[in-house]
Order: sequence, then structure tokens, then C-alpha cells
Amino acid sequence: MGDALAVRRGAWLTAAALVAAIIGWPVIRLFGVAFERGLATVVETLTGPQATAAIWNSLWTGAVVAVLAVASGTGAALLTERSALPGRRWLRAGLLLPLLVPPFVTAFGWARAFGPRGLTDQLAGIALPGMYGPLGIVVVLTVAATPIAYLIVAGALASRVEPDLERAARASGATWPEALWTVTLPLLRPALLSALVVVFVFAINAFGVPAVLGTPAGFATITTRLYQDLALSADPAAFVRATTMAATLVVVALVVVGSADALFVGRGAARTALPSGSGLTRGRRTVAIALGAVIALATLLPLVALVLSALTRATGLDPVPANWTLDNFASALDPRFLGGLAHSLALAVAAATVVLVLGAIGLAARHGRSRVLGTAITLGFAVPGSALAVAVLLAYGGWLRDTLAIILIAYVAKFWALGHRQLAGSVDRLPGDQVRAARASGAGAMDAFRSVVVPTLRPSIMAAWLVVFVFALHELTMSSLLYGPGNATLAVIVLNVQQLGDPTITAAMAVLLVGVVAIAAVPLAVAGFGREPANRRERVSP
Amino acid sequence: MTGAPVPAVSCRGVTIAYGATVVVSDLDLEVPRGEMLALLGPSGCGKTTILSALAGFLPISAGEIHVGGRAVAGAGRHLAPERRDVGVVFQGYALWPHLDALDTVAYPIRRRAVGEPEARRRAAAILERLGIARLAHRRPAELSGGEQQRVGLGRALAREASVYLFDEPTAHLDATLRDRLQLEIADHRLRSGAAAIYATHDTAEALAIADRVALLRDGRLVQEGTPTAVYDRPIDLWAARLTGLASVLDVRILGPGAGTKTGGDRRIEVAGSPLTATVAMARRLPEGEVRAIVRPDWVRLGGTIPGRVETVAFRGSYTDYRLVTPAGTIDLRAGGPPTVGAGEAVGWSVDRLWIPAEPLDPATRLT
Repeated sequence: MGDALAVRRGAWLTAAALVAAIIGWPVIRLFGVAFERGLATVVETLTGPQATAAIWNSLWTGAVVAVLAVASGTGAALLTERSALPGRRWLRAGLLLPLLVPPFVTAFGWARAFGPRGLTDQLAGIALPGMYGPLGIVVVLTVAATPIAYLIVAGALASRVEPDLERAARASGATWPEALWTVTLPLLRPALLSALVVVFVFAINAFGVPAVLGTPAGFATITTRLYQDLALSADPAAFVRATTMAATLVVVALVVVGSADALFVGRGAARTALPSGSGLTRGRRTVAIALGAVIALATLLPLVALVLSALTRATGLDPVPANWTLDNFASALDPRFLGGLAHSLALAVAAATVVLVLGAIGLAARHGRSRVLGTAITLGFAVPGSALAVAVLLAYGGWLRDTLAIILIAYVAKFWALGHRQLAGSVDRLPGDQVRAARASGAGAMDAFRSVVVPTLRPSIMAAWLVVFVFALHELTMSSLLYGPGNATLAVIVLNVQQLGDPTITAAMAVLLVGVVAIAAVPLAVAGFGREPANRRERVSP
Repeated sequence: MTGAPVPAVSCRGVTIAYGATVVVSDLDLEVPRGEMLALLGPSGCGKTTILSALAGFLPISAGEIHVGGRAVAGAGRHLAPERRDVGVVFQGYALWPHLDALDTVAYPIRRRAVGEPEARRRAAAILERLGIARLAHRRPAELSGGEQQRVGLGRALAREASVYLFDEPTAHLDATLRDRLQLEIADHRLRSGAAAIYATHDTAEALAIADRVALLRDGRLVQEGTPTAVYDRPIDLWAARLTGLASVLDVRILGPGAGTKTGGDRRIEVAGSPLTATVAMARRLPEGEVRAIVRPDWVRLGGTIPGRVETVAFRGSYTDYRLVTPAGTIDLRAGGPPTVGAGEAVGWSVDRLWIPAEPLDPATRLT
């Protein structure tokens, strides 16, 4: 027993030291640098016209996106989890699809689909006004954030709102809107709040979408302003402004998150219950088709527009087979792209693996004091990527500037929480009695761990690795601030090409990027898809 | 309206399917006003599915359901749960975590457009009647299982429906509490004068609480009758075993009475011992060998039929024995403590027999 305690203490100290080095020190440095010229300078910087506009833009778009995405995610969750819609698993998969597409690619795809000279403009003369500007940013961020809200609310619907609770309301004389209002929504309140917070942080943290849709229209947010000041400017005043705004971003995110654990409420895998009879009883097919059409319009059509752009010889030509060519792909696959791909793959593999190792250390350190660790790790996830990148740059830029290592540190700081929560969650779900049964059957501690714990955790371990891998593969925000000559990541290269303004090559690269992410995500999708029990019947016929 | 009064519930040819899986097929049921019908069957036989269809939680694939003479389901019609005159008590209580007992019971009253103060006053009266007035301001998390189900019962009663559906309301409660709650349910239901359908897999509960019992097997109605009828004259061995202990006995029918359909006292022979027993049957009595069903309380120790005690189980006020005899393995129940031990040879006798229409296969199992 003494050994076990020593191991745990050692693991805790190791984990604490790593948290301090990877998350703690950079954030402290960030605030140190931001405030080293005194509070007056901070206030002066923040009240400058550019900063004020950017902060205000980030806050209001974030708030609007949070409300819209939570509304649409909740509506979708109620439809897929509470009504026997035909093709529910396809609708679910479609709702989650935007998670796999880097948001800036979604933005670019929307511009190609619905923007001026986009697909609908060419085919039907219909273009979305305001595609470039706040409207486009809000719409695309809502599309990108809806799956996040959907996951949180659907998980809570499955775990917190038994269908019998809604049935009881109906059997008490409530109509279905009444049951929704008096039973379902009150019980979902914590999840809705959590979803609002998570989506808001996601939205103010977003860089790619405002970079693609806002910058051309002169609409700046905190993140794009940071990028301008840090990556495109050599002015020392701009650097000070960047640090100050990064610190502001951290404060806003942390104030909104409040308790860091709000980030992970209701993240359980959505279980499937039979329709409660509280949702739709008629017109299910119509609703399913309508929902499918919305998904197709918001998610699939932009991807199709990207593919068509990538296939078309030159911008402005009609996307018909006569104008098709693979030349854009050939041009896209230049040494820069391939180098970026190599960097991204290496970084993603390294980040996923390091996060798993750190997750294991964190698990070994669990007990009592571990909540502190868990909260500190979650902090890394809550700190907006732009700010985290600035922080890491301030802490380690002296030695590691322009290396892949500094990008890796930022990735690990950001994604540690994903691996940690996934592993900790599945260990918590592991009934202690299973391990005790193994011990009582004659297995030693290590033997029980190897023969019972590891096989049970294997799917979670694989899922954790893949989630970090996929997120790291399409990470843009931090990479765009940290890359140096010769070590740009794939997403950065695609964005740079986009900003140079060649839509066809950009489209080809974006298609390839999505392809790489999709291939990496296939095992994840298969695992998630297979998790749904075909037809849970135990509550129906006891 | 002339003729028979309109039943509170009637199901005609009701079939319920999940996709291609038929869970309930061609169900015919009628429950008159003021009657309690128990749906008795093993797990997975479709009890909850039937209740869900009656309440309007599930659509039916074929057939018709009428509640209080009004068509609520069938022929393209599916009346929403809140528009059916039905109250439901759930197996898992289904209490709302965010409402206390008073607001829970007031909920259905409020839905009838009764103002809040009045609804709360009526809800308080219901809680009073159920003996849980002191729990009015507790939420489900602060209530025990029995208290939760009383609140659930109160919520159903507050609906003032003409039909109540009970979905194994006592399944999660311990034995003592279960008996108490059964009595309360029977009592409150009687006072309200409404009809009720009570799903359960507990035989003793079904026989004790119901006016009539419907036996369900794999989504089909096997038999329906009063508790004593299904106990005394089960349609086959499966129904017999669902409604209690039942043994299969090889007997020979002797002399006069054979070949008729009239029951009554008959001369029979069991394992070579002649005796007189009350014989009831569902078919023409054959002469010679026949298999009959006997209940443990229809046989007794002491008599001329040879046997050996295999097991003895003392259960307090009575004792269960299992006898191995040349005429079959027999379960026997006698009052008081054990009088013979396992392994001993005994003589025994039989007072009653039931011969169902179909020949009996002693290998029949409940699911």
C-alpha cells in the first residue's frame, strides 16, 4: 500500500508540475506582460478605437451565436431524441458533421455556396446579402456551433429527462408544448446554460470564420485583431495591444465560464430512448425531410460548392462538367501543402499521444486533491486559443520561437482537458465491483488492471486519442499565431492561400484538408455510430 | 343507449408493432366501469406496451381502442394522451425532479384550467387523503420509494379520470410496503368508482387486487377470468404455472361418469390407489389414463398413494413439500410446521383435479 501511495504522490507532483509548465506559467506570463506597463496603459489600450470595436464585435457576435446555436441545437435534439423520426441515425450523423469540418472551411464553403459569385448566385442568381461581414460570421458560427449545443442538450435529454417524466405530464392533461415548457425545459435548464456558455466561448474564440468572412469587410474581432497585431505587424505598440487583448479574452472567457466545470456538464454519450410520445405523433416524415434539408443546405451544400469550385478551371466559370479539371488539385498539392500536411500529421500524432500519457499520469494522481488538477486542466480548454497562443509565445518564445515544439505545447495545453475528461469519465463509470471481483478471483492489482480495466477502457482511450488527433489536425487559431517560416501547418497554409485570394486553389486545398480530417475521423464516426443500441426495449415491456 | 352499458375501456383486435417486430397482436379486452383488471404476464409479454397504447404514448398498428365509449385510437385516429380520459401510475414513479409533492399533484388540476390557489387546495386534500400531507413541500429526491409512489398515485387521482392505468407500481418496493400500497390503491380506486388496468408480473398481487385477471403470453391474451376462475381452471399448464404452483398428475378415471362432460365427485385411481376426488374439466371425460393439473392446496399428506419427500420448505404459517411419486412430481402445501423430513416415504391423497381442454406437457416452462 505504501508503494501505491508513493506512486500516486509522484504522479500528482508530476502532473502538477506539467500543468504549471504548460498552462500555468504561460497564463501568468501573459498577465505579467499585459500589466507590466501599469493599469493605465491597459485601460488606454482597451479603450482605443480599434480595440473597443474588436471587443464589442466579439462579444455581441458571441452572444447572438450562443443564443441561435443553443436554440437550433435544442430544437434538433428534441426532434431526434423525442420523436420517432425516420432515419434518425442519419439525421444525428448529419447534425454532427460540422464538427469534422474546420470552421474556416465552413466559412469558405458558405462563401462559395451562398456568397456573391457563389454557387446559388451562378445557378439561380440568389446570393446571401451580408455574407462578408457580421451576418455571415454569425450564420456560419451558428452552423459550426450547433453540433456542440446539440451534443450537450441531447446528452442531457438522455440522462436527465426520462421519457416517462414527459409521458406523466401528457397523462396529466398537458399538451405537448405544455409538457415541453413545464417539464422538459426546466429539467434541461443546467444543460442549456452550459451549452450557452460553451458556445459563447467557442464563438469569441473563433478565428478562422471572422478571418475569412470579417476581415475582407473590415469587420474585426478580438481574434482577428490579435492576428493582425501579432502575425502581420512588427510595431511594438501592436504587440502590447495583442497581449492586452489576449489577457482580456482570457478574463472574458473565465468570467463567463465561471465554474470551469460548466464546460463539461452533460457530455455523456447520448443514449437512445424510445420516443416518449411527447413529441410529434404526426408528420414525422415531413419533419425528418425538412430537418434533413436544413442539414443539407447548411452543411452539405457548402462542401459541394467547395468541391465544385475546386473542380472548376477558373473562378467565374459555370461549375458544369465542361469546365471541370483536376489541375487545381495538382496545383494545390505543391511542396508547401505537402510540408504542411507532414507538420500537421506529426503535430496531431504527437499531441494525441502526449495528451494520452498526461491523461494516464492524471489518472494515477487522482484522489482528493485531484479536483484542483482537473480544474487547472479544464482551464487550458477554457482559455481562448488566440490568448493561449500568445501566452505560450510569451513563456517559451525565447527558446522555441518558430519551432513545431511551441505549437505542440499550445496544442497540449488546449487539448489536455479533452483527453483527461474522457479518461476520467470512463474510469468513473467503471464499477469498482468489477475490479474487486477480479481481485476476489485471484488477480493481483496489476493483473486486474491489465485484464479488467484496460479492456473496458480501450474504446475510451482510442476515442480520446482520435478526438485530440482530429482537433489538432484542423487547428487553425493557435497555429496561425505560432507558426514560423518553414513549419506552417496545413490549416494555416490553406488560410494563407485563401487570403491571397485564389478561390479555386483554396477550394482544392480545403477539399483536401477536409478529406484528410474525414479519413482520420472515420474510426471515430464508426465508433460513435455503432454505440447506439438498435432498439432499447427494456422500459417498454418489463 | 340500450343493451349492455358502455365499457370504460375496450380494445378490439389491437396490434402494436415496433417497426417489423409485433409486440402485441390481436388483443381483445373489455373493462366495465368500476372494475379492476390485472394484466398478468412474465417480463417482456407486452404489459407496458398495452398500457402505453391505452394512454396514447404509442400508436397502434391495427384495431381500435375506446375509452368511455369514445374512439381514442384506431382507423387513422390517434388521440393525444392529454385528450384521453386516462390517468397513469408509472413503474419508475416518473416524478418531476423540479416539483414538490404538492405542485406535482396540482399539475393535472392546473391543466384543467383551475386557478393555482384552488388547484393547490385540491392537491393538498388529495395528499391528506393519501396520508402524505406532511410531504407536500418535498421534492422526489427527498422522498423514499413508497412515498414517491404515493405522490405518483396522488397525481393520477388528481386527474379524475374514468380509467386508471397502473404499470407495475409496486415493482420497486419491498414486500411489506408493496402489500400496504396495493391495499391503498384498491381502496382509492374503489372510492373513485373508475375502471383500472393494473399490469404486474406478481401472481399474488394480481389475484389479490383484481376483479378479473388477463393472462398475457408473448403479446397475446391467453385467458381472462376472475381470480378464482384462472386459479381453479387455467386453460393450460403455462397459464396454470403463471397463476401459482401447479403439478401434473397421471390419473385413471374409473367407472360411472367417464365419457360425460359433467364434473363432480368421481372415482379415480392414482398410482394404483383408488379414491374419490372432485373433478372439473374442460372436455369430455375420457375413460382410463389422463393427465390432470393439481394445485398444492388440492393435495394433502396422509392417504394411500405412495410417495417420497424430496424437499421441505418451512414458510412460517405453512410448509411446502415436493413429493416424488409414481404419478408424477407433486407440490404440496400444508398448514403449520413440517411434519415429515426430506427423504422420508409418505402416503398422500388428492381432493381436487382440473383437466384442461388440451393434453398437458409437463415440460412446459414460463418463458
